[in-house]
Amino acid sequence: MSPWLPVHPAQLVFGLVIWSGWFVLLYGGLSVACELVPPAEKRGAMTWLNGLILLLGAALAVFLLWLARRCWRAAPASDQGTDSGRFVARIAAGVYLTSALAAFALTLPSVVMAPCL
Amino acid sequence: MTNRTNQPAEELHQELERVWGNQPGWRAGSAVNHTTVGLRFLVTGLGFFLVGGLLAMLVRTQLALPEQDIIGPELYNQLFTMHGTVMMFLFAIPVLEGAAMYLIPKMIGTRDLVFPRLSALGYYCYLFGGLIILSSLVLQIAPDAGWFMYTPLSNAEFSPGEGPDFWLLGITFVEISAISAGVELVVSILRTRANGMALNKMPIFCWYILAMALMIIFGFPPLILGSILLELERAAGWVFFDVAGGGDPLLWQHLFWLFGHPEVYIIFLPAAGIVSTLIPVFAQRPLVGYRWIVLAIIVMGFISFGLWVHHMFTVGIPQLALAFFSIASMLVAIPTAIQIFAWLATLWIGKVAFRLPMLWVCGFLMVFVAGGLTGVMLALVPFNWQVHDTHFVVAHMHYVLVGGMLFPLVAGFYYWLPHVSGRMPSDTLGRWGFWLFFGGFNMTFLLMHLTGLLGMPRRVYTYDAEMGWGWLNLLSSVGGFVMAIGVAVIILDITLHFRFGRKAECNPWNADTLEWATPMPASAYNFASLPDIDTRHPMWEHPDLPHTIEQGHHGLGEVMYERRDIFGSDAITGRVREVIHLPTNSWLPLQTAAVIAVVCVSLLVKAYTVALIALCGVLFFALRWSWHNGAHPVASPWREDDPVDPPLHSRTFDGPGLWGMVVSLMANGTLYVSLLFGWFYLWTAAPQWSMPAQAPISLWSLLASGTALVLAVVVYRRGVAQLRNGSDAPLQGALWLATGLGALHVGLLVWVLISAPLAPGDLAHDAVLTVMLYYLLLHGSLASILTALQALRVRIGYVSLRLPYEPVVVQPFWIYTLGVFWMSFAAFVVLPMVWGAG
Repeated sequence: MSPWLPVHPAQLVFGLVIWSGWFVLLYGGLSVACELVPPAEKRGAMTWLNGLILLLGAALAVFLLWLARRCWRAAPASDQGTDSGRFVARIAAGVYLTSALAAFALTLPSVVMAPCL
Repeated sequence: MTNRTNQPAEELHQELERVWGNQPGWRAGSAVNHTTVGLRFLVTGLGFFLVGGLLAMLVRTQLALPEQDIIGPELYNQLFTMHGTVMMFLFAIPVLEGAAMYLIPKMIGTRDLVFPRLSALGYYCYLFGGLIILSSLVLQIAPDAGWFMYTPLSNAEFSPGEGPDFWLLGITFVEISAISAGVELVVSILRTRANGMALNKMPIFCWYILAMALMIIFGFPPLILGSILLELERAAGWVFFDVAGGGDPLLWQHLFWLFGHPEVYIIFLPAAGIVSTLIPVFAQRPLVGYRWIVLAIIVMGFISFGLWVHHMFTVGIPQLALAFFSIASMLVAIPTAIQIFAWLATLWIGKVAFRLPMLWVCGFLMVFVAGGLTGVMLALVPFNWQVHDTHFVVAHMHYVLVGGMLFPLVAGFYYWLPHVSGRMPSDTLGRWGFWLFFGGFNMTFLLMHLTGLLGMPRRVYTYDAEMGWGWLNLLSSVGGFVMAIGVAVIILDITLHFRFGRKAECNPWNADTLEWATPMPASAYNFASLPDIDTRHPMWEHPDLPHTIEQGHHGLGEVMYERRDIFGSDAITGRVREVIHLPTNSWLPLQTAAVIAVVCVSLLVKAYTVALIALCGVLFFALRWSWHNGAHPVASPWREDDPVDPPLHSRTFDGPGLWGMVVSLMANGTLYVSLLFGWFYLWTAAPQWSMPAQAPISLWSLLASGTALVLAVVVYRRGVAQLRNGSDAPLQGALWLATGLGALHVGLLVWVLISAPLAPGDLAHDAVLTVMLYYLLLHGSLASILTALQALRVRIGYVSLRLPYEPVVVQPFWIYTLGVFWMSFAAFVVLPMVWGAG
């Protein structure tokens, strides 16, 4: 079975793997950006960096939501109707949904906080 | 999978006992059986718990009154360092691993863990490592830099004694045990469940343990790497954490807490698994929200890796980055809350019997929720700054760890005690134990929140009377002793019950899970026959299971060729795929662990020649171990009447060894990624990081070495591919050729290392680069040696078309070696050349 199918157990962790990658990128990328191209401090939260973080966070959240929907829709008919396939697809949908919320939640502080202080 | 045999039950039992049982007397040291090893973990862990508790009592005695001088500052530092170290590394994790090792095979309906000798090795590593760490206390040279061993306090300049060396080497030794348990549990849960036990039919406890085991795989390697680097800095003078040489002490904090925060959840998850198992039993109804809980477990496992910086809020990280970690720290409360509400809902709609284990579960709910709430408070950066390094944090930590781990653990002890002893504990003594412990605990730590809010810092051996903390500390100390009396009563109860406890009837709590279908006390083989399982509640839906299992009415109800056979099943559906033949009792785990202990002690006393010889001994025993495998005469030689449906695992291409290799490589990969993290962290954040103007490594030699490695992997893979396609004629030649190319790769790497003007004692850049080169060297060498052994085994006839298993297991190791080589080439050589050298 391909791990990309909504009923494959790998789907149980993909959403949070993506979230983890986003988290590392956010933390590491912020440090690098502040080192190499720091926005002016006086602009507060109104900087290109904050905008980029929010934009990327929103895009990622939408992508994860789409994956959640894909798993949810696959669930009733999954794996020729066996319990384990449906079980995996339902939980994977929950994991993607949670990952979407968590990915976007991480970006929220950039609405109000200066990036490099 | 039924195979009713005509063998009488008693005869079958005797035969199984002979094959699966331990050797008598002193030869029991060779035991590998999961029941024995699990119980050894538990008993040893409890021994360490008593030592840790004693240290805590000494600490509380010293702090009971202001301006006391019972214990001097030096000894006090050793006491609190060792208390934390013993409780976290030698008690909490090993005991939970032991409980998991004991329970998992019984819950999933099999006879043993999938790599029994690995379990035994893990136990001996734990025992020897723990004794090495404790010996420092006896020798009065115990580590005194805190259980987190922060640099620069723990470096050779500020801690010139051997204390930190004991910690670093001993903990690394103990962590071999944790990683082996992690690998063992992951593969066992995924590949050896009862026939038909699909993922959604797994007992909830198995989900918790699966998550815990995977978290160990990914959580422990950063600390192992950090410990190796710090020990290299202390013993060999290499620079990693010293600012003057381009290092950074904060790198240690990152590596430590990358392990340290997930560790809290590694401890919490199995304990929560106990709660999720017990509540439905005492409420006599299925757990509410099974799916929600599985979701919460997965989410918690991941998010807990994103919280490590909340231990470092005061070190000077940009505010926005702090906010990311603050949010993540609050997010993790959500999956915790899901579980708590599911437990409450189960209790709400059930008819709860408040038996002794439930008392401890209730204690857990109260204490842990309080600890969780102060955790949310600490996730808020401004509040965290205010109470940083005060007794408030100590109180929070104990509420979370004791509430989240010890209360459920004791609940579990009482619950599964009849399973181990066949007898019931005393309700009266047990209740006394609970109330003394519960009252003493809250007296100690509830008040400690206030002590912290009033400003008392952690890790001070005394305080002035005028600070006004005296009465709070006195009450906390009294509470500590009340708690200790509670522990004594529990130990008394458990000890007495072995002699005076009422005989337990079959399934005494009317539980739903399969471990209660095994004999009580547990037999060496768990199940006389292996049942099909199509429900989450087998004992509720099929209460006659203990009888039919005992009568041999289910699968594998006979002994073949004295083999220890279990079913191997599909990871998703749980359908049987093969018969796994497990290794029997062996001294190899003890021998290997003993020689590792010699390496450890030799390094401590700086007898490096002895350490090198002992290291060769480790390699010898490990290879001997791998040799006695598969179709070797002491394992399972090929026979005409080998079963074919399902086949023996060593006659397939996808046995549990392959899974074990892949899971081990995940841990190995995490260690490597931690090294990469260290490299990039120092490069971007170390205040005085510098790179030599000229790349110190010969690019062309490294490229030549990499080319030899690529060729070795191509040849190896071709050999395996032809084996898969039904031809084993070219296999031996391919393996020898891959060995030769691997040796060439290693030789060129050695040349690179010798010819490079690296100065790891002066420059962090060179130190990290040297570690990376040794890492590659180790992997190239190991891959070549393993392949040479495979070639020999083909020659002897242990590997062939009919026995194709082993080359498939080694293949991922080659691919991994290739991957890390080129990743290292890109990150450590090419990237600095194109971006930032000089």
